[in-house]
Amino acid sequence: MTAVPDIEFRGVTKRYGAVTAVSGIDLAVPPSAFVALLGPSGCGKTTCLRMIGGFEQPSEGQVFIRGQDMAGTPPYRRPVNMVFQQYALFPHLDVEDNVAYGLRQARPRLSSREIASRAGEALEMVRLAGYGRRKIHELSGGQQQRVALARALVNKPAVLLLDEPLAALDKKLRIDMQIELQNLQREIGITFVLVTHDQEEALSMSDFVCVMNGGRIVQLGQPSEIYDEPADLFVADFVGKTNLLSGTVAGHMGDLVEVALADGTVIAARKRTALQQGEAVSVSLRPESLSLGAPGSGRFKGIVRNRIFLGSTAEYAIEVQGIGTLLAKADHLIGHGNLFKPGEPVAIGFASGTPLAFPETKNNGTNQRVDKHVEIIS
Amino acid sequence: MSKSYRDGLPISPENFVDQLMRLKRGSIGRRDFLGLTGLGIATAVMAREIGIMPTPAFAAESLGDRMSIATWPNYHDPATFENFKKDTGVAVEVNVFGSNEEMLAKLQAGASGWSLFVPTNYTISTYKKLGIIEPLEMAKLPNFDGSQEDPRFTGEGTIEGVTYAVPKNWGTTGFAVNTKKLTKPMTSWKEFWDTAMAEGDSRTMVHDYQLTTIGNALKYYGYSFNSLKQDELAKAEELLLKVKPHLFAVSSDYQPGMRAGDAWMTMCWTNDGAQLHRDIPEIAYVLGKEGGEIWTDFYAIPKDAPNKPAGYALLNYLMNPQVAVKEHLANGAPSTDARVNKLLPKEVLDNPILYPAADLLTPLEFGAAATLTDPGRAELMARFKSA
Amino acid sequence: MLLGPATAWLVVFLVLPFIAIAVFSVGERAPEGGYQAAFTFAQYANLPARATAFWNTMVLAPIGALACLLVAYPVAYYLALRAPQRWRLILLALVVIPFWTSLLMRTYAWMYVLGGRGIPALLAYIGFEDVRLINTPGAVLLGIVYGYLPLMILPIYVSLERLDRRLLEASADLGATPLSTFLSVTLKLSLPGVMTGFSLVMILLLGEYLIPTLLGGGKVFFIGNALVDLFLQSRNWPFGSAIAITLVLVSVVVLIAANRISTRVSGARRVDLI
Repeated sequence: MTAVPDIEFRGVTKRYGAVTAVSGIDLAVPPSAFVALLGPSGCGKTTCLRMIGGFEQPSEGQVFIRGQDMAGTPPYRRPVNMVFQQYALFPHLDVEDNVAYGLRQARPRLSSREIASRAGEALEMVRLAGYGRRKIHELSGGQQQRVALARALVNKPAVLLLDEPLAALDKKLRIDMQIELQNLQREIGITFVLVTHDQEEALSMSDFVCVMNGGRIVQLGQPSEIYDEPADLFVADFVGKTNLLSGTVAGHMGDLVEVALADGTVIAARKRTALQQGEAVSVSLRPESLSLGAPGSGRFKGIVRNRIFLGSTAEYAIEVQGIGTLLAKADHLIGHGNLFKPGEPVAIGFASGTPLAFPETKNNGTNQRVDKHVEIIS
Repeated sequence: MSKSYRDGLPISPENFVDQLMRLKRGSIGRRDFLGLTGLGIATAVMAREIGIMPTPAFAAESLGDRMSIATWPNYHDPATFENFKKDTGVAVEVNVFGSNEEMLAKLQAGASGWSLFVPTNYTISTYKKLGIIEPLEMAKLPNFDGSQEDPRFTGEGTIEGVTYAVPKNWGTTGFAVNTKKLTKPMTSWKEFWDTAMAEGDSRTMVHDYQLTTIGNALKYYGYSFNSLKQDELAKAEELLLKVKPHLFAVSSDYQPGMRAGDAWMTMCWTNDGAQLHRDIPEIAYVLGKEGGEIWTDFYAIPKDAPNKPAGYALLNYLMNPQVAVKEHLANGAPSTDARVNKLLPKEVLDNPILYPAADLLTPLEFGAAATLTDPGRAELMARFKSA
Repeated sequence: MLLGPATAWLVVFLVLPFIAIAVFSVGERAPEGGYQAAFTFAQYANLPARATAFWNTMVLAPIGALACLLVAYPVAYYLALRAPQRWRLILLALVVIPFWTSLLMRTYAWMYVLGGRGIPALLAYIGFEDVRLINTPGAVLLGIVYGYLPLMILPIYVSLERLDRRLLEASADLGATPLSTFLSVTLKLSLPGVMTGFSLVMILLLGEYLIPTLLGGGKVFFIGNALVDLFLQSRNWPFGSAIAITLVLVSVVVLIAANRISTRVSGARRVDLI
């Protein structure tokens, strides 16, 4: 067995009247992990975070923080702190007083010298030393973000909760902050629980990603696992870009399944669940697993419609007769060496084993949760 | 007597409106702020008649179809104006006022719109001095018979032989006592003030009116009601300041407090005293034996009256003893006109509140114009009220 | 162009009357009362003659406003933060509806409720004879709180309603107890509304005379009473004008002070309702 989890959900369900926001969640977050709760809006991820913070009470089940059942524990008695969406900084306090707010609540009281020095350290940690007397509205979005971080971390929480912390920032700042948050987490060594709808953010920052949909956990795993081995069609589609090709199961070939695509092509694909002969499936092919070559080779023939040059790589939208438009990502420095131009015919290939077939059911995520606990994957 | 907690509880809506109307009709002192705050005017205007009746041909050309009178709350029998309108086609708009000073201010400001108004004796000389009232054309008032008027009350309407105002009724300023609460019989202002600081502590009211409040304090020492002498006023002030902490209220709106039993004793004008005694027999009306105030209310016509013919017509109508007697029965104040007194029922004439014994009347003084406008007395009153 | 009517409005209804009163205030009382032209500061020199009235007013106004605040705040808090959304409008309307009746009528109603045949009659029925409620400081305070409550509730409600609820969560998250959150976040951020309501009520109370007269028996003399007496009884218009001008200046000082305080503490501008 591993150590006591920092956060543990046991059979947690949250209902608002007739609406079930979260249903039967089991989850254990090990110490010092950076976990992302990822999903589209309304999937229940924020509700989960708020149940950890104590702002919502589970309708059923229990939430544990470091082994302590939190039922009936108000937010101000929980050893966790949150970075709120849009930060929720106190507009009537300056930067330092915002950061010192939590320290001033400590009982027994801390000396004002200690409060000042710890607030100063926290500001230094987020590289805002010297900004203490600034008013909140005088700060840029990124600076406000750091204040919110310092304010939450100054109390040395067991777990830091982050509710869409980067959503309000522009792209460049977002990437800087992603790195900064990651470093911070490693430096402090406490558990971060991040709520985001941005899969790129989740994949790039966290050690574990917990993909949620419809109030349930659909998949839980390391970012690479989520990306390479999506548990179902929803995850495959939601996490990263992918091409989904419709087809039917034509036969089995050991662990692989043969799928007949719309244009008659039969390809071998891996599968996550048992598939019946003749079952309608979607085959996921990541753009980067496609290789482009001169006409004559490859599995599909297509015509380049668009090219998006991205520096080290380029993305192509390629029209394939009978299949539709496929997105391919090619590293143009190796391989073919040249860029394809729009209108040019091209051959598309992929390594066997890269396609992944999913049953084309609408009720994703009901019976297909594979991994429930972090322990399983860690 | 069985006692229910609902006895005398005024909280039901009908009851409240009832009380309010009563307040408006009569229990409110005319010198209080009601007119000033607009409630009086508002209710009078609400009740005012709209000309629907056909106008009799004989009056149409000369009298117009409406006029306006400035008077005191509950000072007239409403039927009087209805009948006047039936006879002449002139609808009367009634404006009620809280004090003579307020009336004066309005008239002085001009464009009051009144064709008749009801000033009290001591203001007439000021109106004349300011040149804002009309010398009356007695020929237009055939119903007025000067020989039938008690000369004691008519004097101040005539200045240098010219009649500017004719009397409506007179009255006195004494005090009302709830004899169930204050059982010791009282006959003097000295007893009034002494009781206010003893048995009547925190149950006594004095007028919010310098003329009477200071005047009756002067009476404690036997000084003139109208005294303007520094040393006498200083004594009165000393008394007032001593009494102040013991008072229930400084207010001319004393009927509600007396009726509710919160106040046990108050300075009081004749007509209020009569009404209180009529409704609550244990409330007695006392005239201080040292003297005090006697007053007369007059009718006068403003110089800028927009409808003088109607003003004269209404005044003449009011001077008709048959009409005047109804007025007096309605408002309860004693009449100055012997013809009216002949028509009044015996119990009214025998009511000592309305017609006190001659020996009580003798020492009474009319308020003087100088008393009312004296700045020193105004300041004294301010010091008393702010003490 | 748009400034035209607004300026005209201000001139006609504010500036001209103010100038008239200022001119009166340096004049003299005519022998029969009223005003006669002069240029003297005698009226201002005479202000100490109404010092007690000023003092009483300066005590009543803040105390009355404070009492009003103490009652209004919980109501506004409940309306803005606790009341179910669908009830909120109805409850707000209930707060405002009494304002459709004149203050005089409502105060008269209190005269009867507090008078000898109101509550004291009930008390007498259960054995407490001769209790006097009317014409006491308590009655005046009650009348003031009752009369001015909506003016206090509304601005506080507005500022509480605007309050970002996440700030309250953030405070709780940082370890603040509900009381501490209320004191250091809710109260401070609603301060603009509090100051607006407070200064509104206080300024109106500076001129109040009706409630102390009706429910207090006219025994305590306020500036409002002094003004009524000077304008309508002794008709000393110049002195009344000097007092009125002084009162206006005091009101301005109060407004500025309230504005300063709320700006400093909440870091936000006040809620402008007027």
